[in-house]
Amino acid sequence: MDIALVNSRKRRNRIVAILSYAVTASGLLILTAILWTLVINGLSAVSNLSLFTEMTPPPGSSGGLANAIFGSVVMTGLATLIATPIGILAGTFLVEYRRGTWIAELVQFVNDMLVSAPSIIVGLFVYTMLVLPFGHFSAFAGAISLAIIALPVVVRTTQDMLLLVPNGLREAAFALGAPKWKVITTVSYRAAFQGLLTGVLLAVARISGETAPLLFTALNNQFWSNDLTRPMASLPVTIFQFAMSPYADWRSLAWGGAFLITFAVLVLNIGARAIASRSRS
Amino acid sequence: MSMLMDSIGEAAAFEPMPSPKITIKDLRFYYKGDVAALKGIDLELAEKRVTAFIGPSGCGKSTLLRVLNRIYDLYPGQRATGEVILDGRNILEPTYDLTELRSKVGMVFQKPTPFPLSIYENIAFGIRLYERLPKSEMDERVEWALRKAALWDEVKDKLKQSGMGLSGGQQQRLCIARGVAVKPEVLLLDEPASALDPISTAKIEQLIDELRADYTIVIVTHNMQQAVRVADYTAFMYLGNLVEFGPTQKLFQNPDQQQTRDYVTGRFG
Repeated sequence: MDIALVNSRKRRNRIVAILSYAVTASGLLILTAILWTLVINGLSAVSNLSLFTEMTPPPGSSGGLANAIFGSVVMTGLATLIATPIGILAGTFLVEYRRGTWIAELVQFVNDMLVSAPSIIVGLFVYTMLVLPFGHFSAFAGAISLAIIALPVVVRTTQDMLLLVPNGLREAAFALGAPKWKVITTVSYRAAFQGLLTGVLLAVARISGETAPLLFTALNNQFWSNDLTRPMASLPVTIFQFAMSPYADWRSLAWGGAFLITFAVLVLNIGARAIASRSRS
Repeated sequence: MSMLMDSIGEAAAFEPMPSPKITIKDLRFYYKGDVAALKGIDLELAEKRVTAFIGPSGCGKSTLLRVLNRIYDLYPGQRATGEVILDGRNILEPTYDLTELRSKVGMVFQKPTPFPLSIYENIAFGIRLYERLPKSEMDERVEWALRKAALWDEVKDKLKQSGMGLSGGQQQRLCIARGVAVKPEVLLLDEPASALDPISTAKIEQLIDELRADYTIVIVTHNMQQAVRVADYTAFMYLGNLVEFGPTQKLFQNPDQQQTRDYVTGRFG
């Protein structure tokens, strides 16, 4: 046995282990620093109830984020309602109907490009399609641009999750004489349910923080608005506007908004995990 | 070997072969292109008897089974030529209704495949495809199927629980119950016990023994002792050909072909 060789291998083993730990630690450190800063600066803003009841204020006066929170919930919700059925059906088409064909490959390729497409381009696209022709910004255009960003995420996860359903399960259902739609809805969707749900929640998390597409579509609104055909405030755009401002109270509200979004995404992720573990047992 | 022979049921004695339920004529099968996985099979499967397909891996025994309910139809490019006549009609005809075929010919797979549903719903799933039963009759039918599969006593108190939570052997009996529940005439079993422990295997074999009175059973197995234990007739296949077919006892004790003799005595395969 070559002792030198064995020792050098042990040494290399130790170096790789130390590097892995160090990189993990620095990653966690950055994450903790971000969250800590967010909690320190955001908590005081969030603890003030007026954040949820008052409109975004002009500089120098007190106010809250009520209209921005409402706008974010409306546009994110509408976008999810649009993207979920289309995305799940498209993913179903790719896996259950055209698996392994060139058309599926092509659609998947294009979809993967959409996943990583810069969101500002999606915003510009919707701007030319739904804002310019009508001559004004609208919440509806904002929801559409968010839906376009969520869609490829839902398609991709649906596809991945349906591919994980063992083919034997489908064969067993077909062998009983079940028609295809029944096999898909009763067997494939059920077997993949937690994955499909996680995909949708991930998409919601993704779009709830998007700013660029909303700048070109929903723009912003100083006041409360229920009108989908008019500009609407949203948390990300308000954060963008307030955080860039020189006014201390605006910046404090921006921290509060950032805290809210992060907290909402956290709740979504925990919810997804909880549902997943419940349906597994 | 002779000890094994003692365990063969009386049904496997040299009786005249009962009328065939399924007649296979010059069956050829292609997974893709022109390479035949089955090279002209002629075979009769006796009604209400157990027929076993044996042979080394890749011999075509599972392929042959998958033709009998046309499950291969799911995969574009796979095709079969020849005739498979079930009750006087060729099931390979494109016009043959697949739903009807699969209501007559049930299948149980190698790996247990419980649906992600409750135990009750696993059974009811198939029944609902063909019949609209009131709740009480559905309950009765589910119980009947689970009793047929010798699973009732183990699951009667947890019918609402997921079928995925059962043990492997229970899952496989659940799949058999599911297949039986739609009242098919033929049951195809594709190595139903190969993923199971010896005790579960014994239960499945006992079950096959009980089901033979009502169903035409075709079982693929790589376990020759299992064929001896459960099958009235056995077909030995090799490289896509049917080498020899006959009563199980004869095929194992006194085969006509040297190849069969070598295989059943463990000299190759």
